[in-house]
Amino acid sequence: MEAVAALERDAELMLRVRQGDTASFALLLDRHRVPVVHFLYRMIQNQAVSEELAQEVFLRVYRSRERYEPTAKFTTWLFRIATHLALNWIRDGRKEKGQESLDEDLIEGMERQVAAKQLTVEQEMLNEVKLREVRDAIRMLPAKQRAAVLMHKYEELEYSQIAKALNCSESAVKSLLFRAYETLRARLAHMA
Amino acid sequence: MKRCARVWLTWHNTVVLLTRERTMMCETNNKNKNVLIDYCSGALNEAQAREVEQHIAICGECRRTVEAQNELWRALDQFAPPQVSVRFNAGLYARIAEEDCAPLWKRWMRRVFEPAVPVAIWKPAVSLAAVCAVLTFGLMVRIPNRAENVQQIRAEHAVDIEQVADALDDLELLTPGSAM
Repeated sequence: MEAVAALERDAELMLRVRQGDTASFALLLDRHRVPVVHFLYRMIQNQAVSEELAQEVFLRVYRSRERYEPTAKFTTWLFRIATHLALNWIRDGRKEKGQESLDEDLIEGMERQVAAKQLTVEQEMLNEVKLREVRDAIRMLPAKQRAAVLMHKYEELEYSQIAKALNCSESAVKSLLFRAYETLRARLAHMA
Repeated sequence: MKRCARVWLTWHNTVVLLTRERTMMCETNNKNKNVLIDYCSGALNEAQAREVEQHIAICGECRRTVEAQNELWRALDQFAPPQVSVRFNAGLYARIAEEDCAPLWKRWMRRVFEPAVPVAIWKPAVSLAAVCAVLTFGLMVRIPNRAENVQQIRAEHAVDIEQVADALDDLELLTPGSAM
């Protein structure tokens, strides 16, 4: 019930944005900024690029405000834009360019985690290795499978929403997810 | 006798259990491959989840898949992204301000060439371009003149007649009666 209300609120806010209400846009941004940035970060694995792309997502939302029609869920539309931008970025081969800062991000992230949890050196190293393996396993997935897994696992989107975001059928999404999880289970089996 | 019956019963039960496990394990997996993934992600309703639980109690393969999927789920939980930068909103609003100040034609161009969601406009465009290319190629290729064709055919025929005449002359020379 709450989820439905939230969805209606999203559409309502977007309709207000269409009428020129910038405060509603700020509310939408506050609500969806973190999931969009996190999705793009897991997809691209580079913080600077993921934030730049997330800004582009919201810029495109703002740009299309006048033509917005609440035909689908706002989050579906949002993730469709995000997926489109991420897949384009990966396809254009800019992955290599951004790869340089990957390890810096990783170390930075680990430092934050250590500071927060006061882990021992062994735990820290173990976590670092595990995290790296998970990241590598996700990065090695084909882009569409990666997007499907990230939307399913972390954003908890339904099959129909993922299908719309990826512009394919629900059965194609199920197949993508099945193959992706199978690959991930095989790659990360030793972590069990 | 009683002991023999007990041994037989145990053996029979084991065989039945193993057979049942073997027949059940592929049924669920093959019918809907994602049902176990849905079960692990908590997407199934109570009745469906209970059904899967009953199944994995007797199906070794599905049980192992569920265990592996749960392990994977826990492993994926470790991939926590960093905090969103505090400069995010400022950067976005700066870009929006820039967008609003841009000339009308520039904004229009952006709307056309950078749509929010991809528009598959290139598909009909490519088809149209292919049709145009075929038509242009067809028009550019020179169609042979009909009059020239007729002349060529006549020339070929003329050669044929000469050849026939030569052959007949040769035949006459070779015939003994005609030499006389």
